[in-house]
Amino acid sequence: MTPSILIIALLLLSFIAYQLGKARSLAVVGGARGIRNLHSLPGHYGLLTALWCGLPALLVVLVWVAVQDQVLIALISAQLPPEVRSLSSDQFVLFLNDLRNVVAGNIPASQVSPATAAAAGEYLRLQGIARLALTALAFALGIVAMLVVRGRIRADLRARNSVERVLEGMLFLCSLVAVLTTIGIILSVVFEATRFFGIVPAQDFLFGTKWSPQMAIRADQVGSSGAFGAVPLFAGTLLISAIAMLVAVPIGLFSAIYLAEYAPSKVRSVVKPLLEVLAGVPTVVYGFFAVTTVGPLLRTAGESMGLSVAGESALAAGLVMGIMIIPFVSSLADDMITAVPQSLRDGAYALGATRSETIKQVVLRAALPGIVGGVLLAISRAIGETMIVVMAAGLAANLTANPLEAVTTVTVQIVTLLVGDQEFDSPKTLAAFALGLVLFIVTLVLNVIALYVVRKYREQYE
Amino acid sequence: MNDAAKTTIGTITVAEPVFSCRNVDVYYGDKHAIKNVNIDIGRKQVLAMIGPSGCGKSTFLRCLNRMNDTIVGARVEGAITLDGQDIHDKRQDVVQLRARVGMVFQKPNPFPKSIYENVAYGPRIHGLAANRGELDEIVNQSLRRAGLWEEVKDRLNQPGTSLSGGQQQRLCIARTIAVNPEVILMDEPCSALDPIATARIEDLIDELRESYAICIVTHSMQQAARVSQRTAYFHLGDLVEVGDTNLIFTNPQAKLTEDYITGRFG
Repeated sequence: MTPSILIIALLLLSFIAYQLGKARSLAVVGGARGIRNLHSLPGHYGLLTALWCGLPALLVVLVWVAVQDQVLIALISAQLPPEVRSLSSDQFVLFLNDLRNVVAGNIPASQVSPATAAAAGEYLRLQGIARLALTALAFALGIVAMLVVRGRIRADLRARNSVERVLEGMLFLCSLVAVLTTIGIILSVVFEATRFFGIVPAQDFLFGTKWSPQMAIRADQVGSSGAFGAVPLFAGTLLISAIAMLVAVPIGLFSAIYLAEYAPSKVRSVVKPLLEVLAGVPTVVYGFFAVTTVGPLLRTAGESMGLSVAGESALAAGLVMGIMIIPFVSSLADDMITAVPQSLRDGAYALGATRSETIKQVVLRAALPGIVGGVLLAISRAIGETMIVVMAAGLAANLTANPLEAVTTVTVQIVTLLVGDQEFDSPKTLAAFALGLVLFIVTLVLNVIALYVVRKYREQYE
Repeated sequence: MNDAAKTTIGTITVAEPVFSCRNVDVYYGDKHAIKNVNIDIGRKQVLAMIGPSGCGKSTFLRCLNRMNDTIVGARVEGAITLDGQDIHDKRQDVVQLRARVGMVFQKPNPFPKSIYENVAYGPRIHGLAANRGELDEIVNQSLRRAGLWEEVKDRLNQPGTSLSGGQQQRLCIARTIAVNPEVILMDEPCSALDPIATARIEDLIDELRESYAICIVTHSMQQAARVSQRTAYFHLGDLVEVGDTNLIFTNPQAKLTEDYITGRFG
């Protein structure tokens, strides 16, 4: 059996084990009438039998699938003809490549050397034996476990406790996957960034003002030394994020105040979902909008006022990014404002405060930490936003504070550095990891501060 | 439930009333919460409002400074006059009304500001102080009258929420008297406090009575007996009986009142 069919067969076997265990537990106490004498429900006994039957056998199959190729190659290598064994390591890798292709059926055996074809035949023979043995072993394990557990079912067997422990372990494994993946990503970024900093000094990267990452492929090409000063990228990112926040914070905050304090419930029930729809628009669509509508519009408007506006200006990207972030700010601020207890508003009204005085001086004041937290989260979103700036902000690494010029951002440069075929040891490619690391650290710090502020605020009113 | 209003037993009028309420009805949507209530509220005395939960005493209290305006679907009918002026008159601004009729709530609700700013808030929004010196004086006087000055004079800049529950409630009272109202409404001001803090607030109410008209809603009949001169008993939206506190507690005229104060229900 191939491993996939074997796994399905094992699942079927486990199902049988479930039924057997369940039936056995009922038989032990003399049928459904005696169910009060059982420690656990019959289903728990069934599950316990099924888990014992299926899990160890599945584990064996999975381990074999993981190591099978290495084991088989090692076995074959030992009996290869001497002319193959004397190949250089590069050529040997090529030989193994051919071998695998023949085994997978990608290349007919007639097109490769006789040695390869013979080795492939051997590989297939060993694989066949291994599969047979694996099938026998897995089934034997499953059936033996099933029979042993079934035999041990007594009325006082604590099946529920064991089953729940296994389930708890599975839940733990799932959460572990998420955490380990994150750690893996961080480590790979840190590792590659360290390699970059081995080639380009960190101070040149962090404080240099010239960014031109083109590296020559051959030593005799012109411009063979790239410049990796990331300051123009940081400045561009800051400029665009600042413009975005200038748009998003006032509009988002004021719309939240309107929705939470002034809007009749009818208006609120229509406007709030509409605002949240904005959050669901894919960012590439916003990028579109920035390039085809906002950019040209700004350009025409600028010309009519005698200003020269670049086609891909920081202003266009920032404005559109700001619009994208509005729902983010407004829905967080709205949550914070509605969380302010009514008793505070009553207290202000009872002193003769008007509605706007109450909102400005009491409600917003109480909601301020939460709103600040929301704004920080929004900033970290703006900094990490990619698609809009890739489409609308351009690639020119200008160091400028003029929002009408084209600038580039950290995310845009990461994309351009990694698009297309790349060698993974040139500083040009590694620079992307260094940029990614900076981006990651900045957004991480912002998020941590924001979460801290928000949590602190929540405690205050609970 | 019998929807027809019953006649109130006892004396509803007082000489020179500060508030005069006639035929007051309150509806929350379809619910008839207050039924044809007639009562006067006298100057420099404490009126206690007692009755089982849901009898409408808090609702009635909130009519007096139009706090029911903030509740969607609430409707107040009838005539309520403050010093002879209808508080529902179009010319009556609700902001000015609330400056004249202060309110203290069930749960202390200091603003998220410093102790000083909590008390200064009312005078500020009503422009009662011309300069910082006057404002300091108002804050100082209000905290003294609320009996809180000695405890907080060294930490006026700390947040109001850092005080204990009883201190917070006295801060809220100081905040209320800082705008120099004519009437103070208190909605179960001690229900969230321990007996010692309660005793302090009751003493304070007794002192404040020399300057203000006070209406207090309470669930504690002992408290009503201790602090008030007149008592009104509400039952299911009706004002059943009103009269001198001594009389109500020693010789109630209505059967419902007697049952309630003797603990037969409630």
